[in-house]
Amino acid sequence: MFFNSLKFAVFLPIVFIFYWFFSNKSKKNQNLILILASYYFYSCWDWRFLFLLIFSTFLDYYTAIKIEENEKKSIRKFWLWLSISINLGLLAVFKYYDFFAVSATEFISGFGFHVEPVLLKLILPVGISFYTFHGLSYIIDVYYKRIKTEKNFVDYSLFVSYFPLLVAGPIERATHLLPQLKVKREFDFEKAKEGIYQIVWGLVKKVVIADTCALYANEIFDNYTTMNSMSLILGAVYFAFQIYGDFSGYSDIALGTSKLFGIDLLKNFDYPYFSRDIAEFWRRWHISLSSWFRDYVYIPLGGSKGSKLFQLRNVMVIFLLSGFWHGANWTFIVWGLLNAVYFIPLLLLNKNRNNMGEFRLSFNLNSLKIISNIAFTFAITCLAWIFFRANTIHQAVDYIYRIFTNHIFSFQYLHIGRSVEKLIVFLVIFSIIEWNNRNKIEPISGKYSWIKLALAITAILTLGIFSDYKNFIYFQF
Amino acid sequence: MKQFILYIGKILVLILLIMISLDVFYTYVFCHTSGRNKTELVLTTEDKNYDLVILGSSRAENHFVPSIFNSRGIKTFNYAMSGSKLEETALTLKLMLAKNFKIKNLILDVDLNLNSNSHSDNIRATFLPYFPISPIIREHYKNIPEYFSYRYIPFYRYAVNEAIGYREVGASIKSKKMNTFDLGGFYPLQNRGKNLYYDMSKFSPKKNKGYEEIRKLCKENNINFIPISLPMCQNTMKDFGNYFQEMKKIYPEIHHYENAVVDDKYFSSCGHMNVEGAKKLSTLVLNDFFEK
Repeated sequence: MFFNSLKFAVFLPIVFIFYWFFSNKSKKNQNLILILASYYFYSCWDWRFLFLLIFSTFLDYYTAIKIEENEKKSIRKFWLWLSISINLGLLAVFKYYDFFAVSATEFISGFGFHVEPVLLKLILPVGISFYTFHGLSYIIDVYYKRIKTEKNFVDYSLFVSYFPLLVAGPIERATHLLPQLKVKREFDFEKAKEGIYQIVWGLVKKVVIADTCALYANEIFDNYTTMNSMSLILGAVYFAFQIYGDFSGYSDIALGTSKLFGIDLLKNFDYPYFSRDIAEFWRRWHISLSSWFRDYVYIPLGGSKGSKLFQLRNVMVIFLLSGFWHGANWTFIVWGLLNAVYFIPLLLLNKNRNNMGEFRLSFNLNSLKIISNIAFTFAITCLAWIFFRANTIHQAVDYIYRIFTNHIFSFQYLHIGRSVEKLIVFLVIFSIIEWNNRNKIEPISGKYSWIKLALAITAILTLGIFSDYKNFIYFQF
Repeated sequence: MKQFILYIGKILVLILLIMISLDVFYTYVFCHTSGRNKTELVLTTEDKNYDLVILGSSRAENHFVPSIFNSRGIKTFNYAMSGSKLEETALTLKLMLAKNFKIKNLILDVDLNLNSNSHSDNIRATFLPYFPISPIIREHYKNIPEYFSYRYIPFYRYAVNEAIGYREVGASIKSKKMNTFDLGGFYPLQNRGKNLYYDMSKFSPKKNKGYEEIRKLCKENNINFIPISLPMCQNTMKDFGNYFQEMKKIYPEIHHYENAVVDDKYFSSCGHMNVEGAKKLSTLVLNDFFEK
């Protein structure tokens, strides 16, 4: 059940009605309705994996209680590592086993031995990377006594399986979400209205921006050997907008949907393409994942304490893990590595926290510097996205090589029956809208909201792509 | 909560109003322009008299040169549409008859399109703007799963079919015409092929509802029905010529021209001849059916 499907448009109002009208407004009933809805939502993808989700939930629920019950450090550690091992083990089997098997046999083949890899060819359970990380954050927080265990299984299950965030995040924290689930939610009209605006804007990003960009980006990447420099550059830019529209659009719909139930989720995007350097980009892109790695990997490794060498190691570890989290492919690992390479100079020069605050543009040299920094950050981000989008590292390298060696900058006509530059104006308009509203969650609220809402709905209906239905990219992770 | 329900109600009314307005606007544009595609041409003209009409897919659109027939006094138009399956071809003929077209002869391209009873989304889409106003189109599509949505949800048919989306509306407003109309509906291809090949290993001819409907309509309306199989490149004919033999068993009345032109130099791609090949085939068909 996709957020941009008719099925979800029916599902959501039904859950909303049951939640607010038939739950007697008790917290227990509210949570019960949400967990039933969440399990139904998940079973629409593949009901068999529902058992895996429930198993994972129960594992963390039980081990957390065991950790809290025991004061002895070794026993607490045992339960912590048992939970981490099983969680990561499941992730490894379903997501990474085939990748490791193929990589290992390729490595062995390098020494002249011929080995056939034993592959499992398992279907990746949707959302496994997300709900595994939910569970891990909880168990680690309990271990470090940052939170108390949740004894109510329904409430805990809801924290793991809450349908707006179940399949593609944001990756929630027990410290943020669980307290909200422990109290009865009262209906808040303003919050619900915000939710509607966010859902509508999320749909614009998904069906208008991402899916239109996908048409062009797919055509260019799939036929990159026949493309000239201009098309290849635009292909990377279009993919940058596709993945942003797709993932931030999904997050907006998730956050907006959750607001309808009176629950706030963590912000996942903060206009990342207006970042002035790569450190700022990572504070604005997939925020819930970046902060997860910061809190549960980077800081425990020592963070920015210790020698520069230690700091470099820590940065490399989190960027490589971040790349690997996205998928079992060397292209994601190189993507992570490339971002680390971008980040390291800022770290070495102590400039990684330079661009923290808000900024304004005016007619002066400083503004020009800001604009060129934003453009440069966007350009290197696009370069990294080429690895993310390509099927193999060779393809990505070849793609980049062709950008710099083809030297033809005319606008090509694509097989999809459109000229390659047709989307530029469209994306410029979208960027201007985002720029003018970068201090807000979405651009619809505020003055003339009815007119803006009507325009957004018209854009979805007329410019949205419904004929060639496209999945959300992050569902595969 | 009451406030929110009222608010949602207002949004739903807004959505409905937008959908109705867009539907009216798109339908108006499509119904008041002609020349963007052959479906529009059929639907915006009436009482045409033809000695010969050509129907089928791109293979017919690229292979029959009306000027060759016209030069011999046979008034011809090529209404074949690239991508069209026999389902849409049958509907085109129904509309022609409803628009009082007088047709003496009808050449139908029948070969690869017997492989399945499927339809073409893009060609079907060209009929959809007329869905609310044409009972013939509605009747033709009464059994498709989307019938209810197309009929009763405003703008739905435009939202889910990119072929009649905003780009097509824009082009219609700008009155961009298809240049094939100047050539009597013929779309010439220029390339010269070499060592062409098309894998037909998964193809097998089957009985086709659309074909039988066209055959029946021709009989009922005294149209001389000339179903024809068209040339394919020689390498494919060597390997998969059997497909055309199988066709004979299902529909013996089909005239076999799949080997009428063999040299790859007459082809642009394996299934589509270039303009020289088209002229050669058109002359052959003209001599065989109209000048004996």
